[in-house]
Amino acid sequence: MKKILFALLLASPTLTFAQGSQVNTQGIRALGMSGAGSALFVDETSIFYSPGALAKATENSISIGASAVMYRSAFKEVNSNVQHDTEFQISPPFSVFASFGPKNSWWKAGIGVYTPFGGGVNWGTEWPGRFELNHLSMRAIYIQPTLSFKITENFGIGGGFVYNIGSVDLSRSIPVFDQNGNPGRAELNGIGTGMGYNVGIHYNLEDDFAISLSYRSHVRTKLEDGDAVFTVPTALSTSFPNTKFSAELPLPSSFNLGIAFPLGDKVDLAADATFIGYSIYEKLVFDYEQNTPVLSDTEQIKDYENALSAKVGLNIHANEKLDLRFGTGYVYTPVRSKYVYAETPDNNRVMGSIGFTYNISDKFDFSGAYTLQRIIERTTTNIATGMSGTYKTNIHAPGISLTYKW
Amino acid sequence: MKNNIKLYVGLAAIALMASCKPEIVKEYETSNPQNVNFSKYIAVGNSLTAGFADGGLYLEGQQVAFPGLLAEQMKSYGGGSFETPFFSEAQSNGSGYLRLKSLENGRPVTESVTDKLAYTGAGVLAKYSGGEINNLGVPGMRLDHSGVALVSAGNMYFSRLLPDAEVGKKSYQDFVENRSHTFFSFWLGNNDVLGYATNGAVNDNPAGTTVLTNEQTFKAVYTQFIGKLTANGQKGVVATIPDVTTIPYFTTVTRKALLDAASAIAGQQIPALVIATKSGPRVATDNDLFILPFSSLAPSLLGKPNALQAPYGFHTANPIEDKYVLDAEEAANIKVHIEKLNAIIKQIATDKNLALADANAYLTRIKNGMLYNGFGISSAYITGNVFSLDGIHLTPIGNAIMSNLVIDAINAKYGTKLEKVDASKFRGIKMP
Repeated sequence: MKKILFALLLASPTLTFAQGSQVNTQGIRALGMSGAGSALFVDETSIFYSPGALAKATENSISIGASAVMYRSAFKEVNSNVQHDTEFQISPPFSVFASFGPKNSWWKAGIGVYTPFGGGVNWGTEWPGRFELNHLSMRAIYIQPTLSFKITENFGIGGGFVYNIGSVDLSRSIPVFDQNGNPGRAELNGIGTGMGYNVGIHYNLEDDFAISLSYRSHVRTKLEDGDAVFTVPTALSTSFPNTKFSAELPLPSSFNLGIAFPLGDKVDLAADATFIGYSIYEKLVFDYEQNTPVLSDTEQIKDYENALSAKVGLNIHANEKLDLRFGTGYVYTPVRSKYVYAETPDNNRVMGSIGFTYNISDKFDFSGAYTLQRIIERTTTNIATGMSGTYKTNIHAPGISLTYKW
Repeated sequence: MKNNIKLYVGLAAIALMASCKPEIVKEYETSNPQNVNFSKYIAVGNSLTAGFADGGLYLEGQQVAFPGLLAEQMKSYGGGSFETPFFSEAQSNGSGYLRLKSLENGRPVTESVTDKLAYTGAGVLAKYSGGEINNLGVPGMRLDHSGVALVSAGNMYFSRLLPDAEVGKKSYQDFVENRSHTFFSFWLGNNDVLGYATNGAVNDNPAGTTVLTNEQTFKAVYTQFIGKLTANGQKGVVATIPDVTTIPYFTTVTRKALLDAASAIAGQQIPALVIATKSGPRVATDNDLFILPFSSLAPSLLGKPNALQAPYGFHTANPIEDKYVLDAEEAANIKVHIEKLNAIIKQIATDKNLALADANAYLTRIKNGMLYNGFGISSAYITGNVFSLDGIHLTPIGNAIMSNLVIDAINAKYGTKLEKVDASKFRGIKMP
């Protein structure tokens, strides 16, 4: 039987992109306080946290840090008791900060290379949302040369230019089935770049009270010439040609206020509040270089809200060699309930952290931190995919860094 | 101080292990739980219950028939074993079925599967040799025939399930009776409309398979059959009859597509198609529904002159035959008739305290497409993922969705907590 009278039309895959996945592990000292400490720590990591403070650092230094971020997400479809877990995997954000300048001068220069956004989830190909997402890993690497000046002994100002290299790698199943009944698959990966800046001021009253204000601009990361690879039954290969794609991912701005003051001889308290301009992330558009009747460009509404986070931590100067830290924080999610996607099953999150710095010598110190973030359980129905269920996520992030001072 | 560090690292490691994997404790809630006994579930119905797909009954279709999927979910709630009269592996292609051979410029070309069939003679299937069965679905079964013993002789799917001595002597109602069931699903009535509709609203089959069952008969037989199934107070679920005019069998072959194809063959623009209707021939409109098999007949039929030299389908003296078209009036009448029959089903369900799976309402919802867990489902042929290649029966995805509709109905009625089937694990149409 040959049917000659109609043509096939299949829905284009819409593809997703993570973003609400921010875990700040740039400075291991701050990580030990859940991200608080922009006003407290005056060192090379100020390049990221408070560019105005950098000029106040007494020494030049370089630090190398790395952390192991582990996202563990779980999903339970509505009216089901079957829990689906993401596969265990580690995203390794890293950071390098270095500061240079004449000793006791009114200025300092620095450079930071760090990953403010990034993460990975792998739901696999056998979960109820496989047509939404199989796996995603994405990373934004910021390179930030910075200059900082002391206007007075107590008042510093600084700023840096940010160049971002972002990468994304994702896959999802597509609902076309081969002779064995297995679905097709779309894999996309690409690298994009963007630019922005980071400015800040830092003020302190001798060893008493310190305040930091900083602003990191948004960075529109443009992906060009990404690779889109489709695995589909032979009969559909011309409908799903392997092609290039472009997309734009706006990374949000943030405005940070930090304060720090001593609670006693050996104890400092630091608190930070950050306003994150996530509302810039309105939609995600994929533009395929080669369109076919079934492979058209896609637009996915994200409609993020601005978000707010608050962090507070204690730094305890235990002895000459050792500082201990504790911190806790709360983050309001930018993701509205109906736009929760599997790539970032976000919700408000609580976090707790511990950390330390051990002074090996005058030149070297070693820091470690561990933070646990708990994304509060969220039951939602996604308006674009129809997925309905409950997500829950734990994020574990241990990290270490080594600093050399001269 | 080194000890302190070790202590903290140790604490961190413990915290890591203890809370590494999140545990979602939330379970869905139901209200008004009633005492429902799923220990012996039987499925009563036609091809949709049997797992018929792609124009045939074959093992893979049987394995994903909605009653089997439903029974699997019942197992956590006291459900017993559920047996389906599967074809053997050696005869796994059963009656044979259609598969997609290729796409030519995006147009599907189907072919029949002819290996591993279960025939022992023309129109005779090998007897099912297993034991007692729970899936009692018989393709082609009509409600109005359910009490007629002779029908079992004319239906190879039915006679396959009966010992020779009972063929032609046992009605479907008798076949279903005395199985000491505790729960049932009942989905009959589709063929009482479909047989008539798929024949272009022409009743020309002496076996009575193209009759449109009238309301009085429908109500009487439905009441009688349900009465037997609930004789001991058993609970169950019934399903409504989908509006057949929304299924791809009627919506795929459009007037425009036929005209374009005919014009291409004729080498000139054909202005209009002419169809035969109950009130005489007339020009076809977009509200007239051509049946799916007409797409393969059209190339040879359209334009072919008759004795009067009138070209087929282009002239009132040689219109497209009534049986190939469900014209607008016929479609509207059928729609109204289905609504009346569904009202009867709903009334009986209410009277007998049975769960109601409103297949008609669901199909109307997905007609124009909706997203299910990130993939599109609709009533579109092949691409809609729900209907198999025959344009009438369900794909595995369609069966899973039907199971969920039935599960929702049972949970809503009886306050049970049957879990949803993960429909995304199933396939749509197999592509070459």
